[in-house]
Amino acid sequence: MKYVDEYRDAELARTLGSEITALAEPGRHYKVMEVCGGHTHTIYKHGIEDHLPESVELVHGPGCPVCVIPMGRVDDGISIARQPNVIFTCFGDMMRVPGGNGSLLDVKAEGADVRFVYSPLDALKIARNNPDKEVVFFAIGFETTAPSTALTLMRAKAEKLRNFSVMCNHVTIVPPLMALLESPDLRLDAFIGPGHVSTVIGCRPYEFIPADYGQPVVVAGFEPLDLLQSIYMIMRQLAEGRNEVENQYGRVVPWEGNLRALDILQRVFELRPYFEWRGLGFISQSALKLSQEYADFDAELRWEIPGVRVADPKACQCGEVLKGVIKPWECKVFGTACTPETPIGTCMVSSEGACAAYYNFGRFARSKERAGA
Amino acid sequence: MTFDGRDGAISLPQVEADSYSAVCSLIDGCLVCGDVAVPVTVVWPGEPDAVCEDAQGQRGPVGVELVAPVESGDRLLVHGGIAISRLEEEL
Repeated sequence: MKYVDEYRDAELARTLGSEITALAEPGRHYKVMEVCGGHTHTIYKHGIEDHLPESVELVHGPGCPVCVIPMGRVDDGISIARQPNVIFTCFGDMMRVPGGNGSLLDVKAEGADVRFVYSPLDALKIARNNPDKEVVFFAIGFETTAPSTALTLMRAKAEKLRNFSVMCNHVTIVPPLMALLESPDLRLDAFIGPGHVSTVIGCRPYEFIPADYGQPVVVAGFEPLDLLQSIYMIMRQLAEGRNEVENQYGRVVPWEGNLRALDILQRVFELRPYFEWRGLGFISQSALKLSQEYADFDAELRWEIPGVRVADPKACQCGEVLKGVIKPWECKVFGTACTPETPIGTCMVSSEGACAAYYNFGRFARSKERAGA
Repeated sequence: MTFDGRDGAISLPQVEADSYSAVCSLIDGCLVCGDVAVPVTVVWPGEPDAVCEDAQGQRGPVGVELVAPVESGDRLLVHGGIAISRLEEEL
């Protein structure tokens, strides 16, 4: 298939694997974090680790937007979904994320009108078609997804749609990276930068990582060869003693990002003073809320929400998984009490979650790790 | 088939689906809420929505305000129903 097969060439993958092995210094262990859940998915689906030497370890980062939503925010969404006359819309994965008292799917089973959409523009369409109902969109995602919510709100405002609102849970990528770099639990050598977030924000925001922390960042695409090439670029930087931001995904990511998207983000959103991240706790200025100009569309102002912090279940170790401190299969409930069918933690819900990726594709890698242990 | 654009009904006879989801189902499964986006080709230019086709031949409207103007054959990257970037593929 054009534009796909070229990036999945097995022979090229083997060559890149050998080049990476040749660059690895004997006796040194390399810890490289892939920030983005999409990369985690690709790594396990395509067996990327099989092409890497044992000394290169990939650590999964917090870049799955479903995984980092705290239980309290799910409960807040559920409280709105339970209101009479409300059509509550969200992305599909979000429906199964457990809150303190069940998930949105449970609330739907109880009779609430909860629908999943693939785009906030579809939620807007539902609002247009149901003028006597209040339609709420539960917005999640990093800077990749935030522009679609922003554009939807701009269209809603232009159309003077009064029955549409957004519960905003959009988060930003740089503050959690800073939190991880400051975390004493984790020592990393380099980052594989998120490809599609960078389409919007560009590569410049990562420059503090080499400058302040001396670690390379390579923004990468999502095909197997993209990932292998980006690991090769990281290894070459480390071998040559360089620390830079490099862009492997130049065919999609402009260095400056999408200026038009950044402009509308600035117009529609403003930074929250702080936001709770699952596993990472409260991080200042790490999430977005609707700006004053769009306050009329803010579901949190339209409805009273509990806003209560709910602690994660004790058995769940999503926090450690999200920080890359433990591997998914090292969690006590992985694959037993917690499966994609009956998830306890968010990392098992989303197909991008590290636990779900391991569960679905990584069992071979897991048995290999066990054999080596 | 028609769908409601911002400026009213637009006639798009080649559209096989009228949901923004139509070009969101990635070959590897739909990962709408993450950092994954879908490459598509413009088949019917327009604003604010253009009809685009994904690798599986599915067609649907895509919001193109962030990359406009677009022409037939342009390659775009779509996430959550909107185009966030142009693709500069050279194969």
